[in-house]
Amino acid sequence: MAESKQTSGKPMTLVDPIDMSLLDAKFRDDIKSMPDGEELSACFACSTCTAACPIANQWTYKPHQLIRMILLGMREEVLSGKEIWECLTCFQCQERCPQKVRITDIFFDCKNLAAESGKVPEKVLAIAKELIDKGQLYVVTSDWEREDLGLEAAVPGLSTDGIRAILKETRTGRLVKGGE
Amino acid sequence: MPVYNLYMGCSVPANYPNYEAAMMKVAEALGMEFEYMPDVACCGSPNLRAIDYFGWLVVNGRTLAIAEKNGHDILTPCNGCFGSLKDVQHHLKHDSEDRARVNKELRKHDLEFKGTIKVRHLVEAIYTDIGPDEIRRKITKPLDGVGIAIHYGCHLLRPADVTEFKPEMLEELVRATGAKVVEYPLWKQCCGATILPVNEPLAIRLARDKIRSMKEAGAEYATVVCPACGNQLDLQQLGLKESYGEVYDLPVLLYPQILALALGIGEDAVGLRMNRVAADSILGHLKG
Ligand code: SF4
Ligand code: SF4
Repeated sequence: MAESKQTSGKPMTLVDPIDMSLLDAKFRDDIKSMPDGEELSACFACSTCTAACPIANQWTYKPHQLIRMILLGMREEVLSGKEIWECLTCFQCQERCPQKVRITDIFFDCKNLAAESGKVPEKVLAIAKELIDKGQLYVVTSDWEREDLGLEAAVPGLSTDGIRAILKETRTGRLVKGGE
Repeated sequence: MPVYNLYMGCSVPANYPNYEAAMMKVAEALGMEFEYMPDVACCGSPNLRAIDYFGWLVVNGRTLAIAEKNGHDILTPCNGCFGSLKDVQHHLKHDSEDRARVNKELRKHDLEFKGTIKVRHLVEAIYTDIGPDEIRRKITKPLDGVGIAIHYGCHLLRPADVTEFKPEMLEELVRATGAKVVEYPLWKQCCGATILPVNEPLAIRLARDKIRSMKEAGAEYATVVCPACGNQLDLQQLGLKESYGEVYDLPVLLYPQILALALGIGEDAVGLRMNRVAADSILGHLKG
């Protein structure tokens, strides 16, 4: 039988202790008041969401931890982390949650809170700018391909005025202006 | 003949005119009338939902309100657009406060969201309004039982209480063409498209896992019903040569391409040559 090694110094911990003074209880209320937060406190920390997540192994904080962190009020850690932005929005966690916590939807709400304080990854901001400038994410360039297939060169009915006018007045417009 | 408000979104017309052409041919053959919607553009994608929930509600609420004017259901071939429209419709129907806020904006343009029509994905409409039996009757060149793996796409399947889509619908539609549906372990997994902007290597790895899983299960072809999934599973195979030095040669067809071919429509009319991984071998699997 192998003998366990003597170790000195601080005992190993799985997670760093939480500094209670940094907790922000309002964070939980913010999320709860958003469209998908109602079932948030029903979470019983079973980790089913993490087991269902195809990319949780890449993350410092796993989905079930993120939900717990929201409940505890760890605003900074959740909203400044890469996890919410790397979420695939695949809804696999949400589909499996036995407590009907709308996990994926809640991560969308988190991204909105992060965006409200200007924290948006550069390439996502570039997408916002495309929507303001062009009113769409993809623009038809090879219209001859369309004509070859018997389609009209320009998409019938397409008009980007509506979406551009709307988004100029909402947070997208503010984010793009702020980023310029 | 059922009439639909056709909402194309931005990706299909720009990147997958073969998808658009194939669905128009299929509609003609099956007696569905697709009318391009006026004055609309992009749904904003999940990226817009992530950074600007209210803007996303108004943009898609506007599209729904325009469609409501003639009373026909709104139909789209894109999972991204479907997810956005379905989710916004669901939210505005259940949250009267947000509905009032959105309608305040829409009234400036003489529009109002009432929630009177349904949001349909192309394949759900084909399944529900035409059905596999009718399709079988119309098919002149059925497939010979060749194995096809289905990638549904996350935003078609989930969240199920919002999308109301059942995987059996597309499964039965594929079987109706004479093909065999190949089951594979990662059938529910994401193609990775949504995180291309924030973590490209991870997005590529997810596409690779998916393609491998299909191949290992014995699929000879794959089918998708979304332009973003098409990018990841078809176009990305070219990228996989570069990043992993791996060649899969798994042709990926948009479902209406397969259906159109089985209905006797020619390969040029459905733009088969535009598929990135050469897909013309499927012609050898058509009987009759
Ligand atoms: S699956 Fe649901 S209940 Fe379980 S840890 Fe995740 S959020 Fe909590
Ligand atoms: S939605 Fe996000 S957190 Fe949930 S399983 Fe998918 S990637 Fe993981």
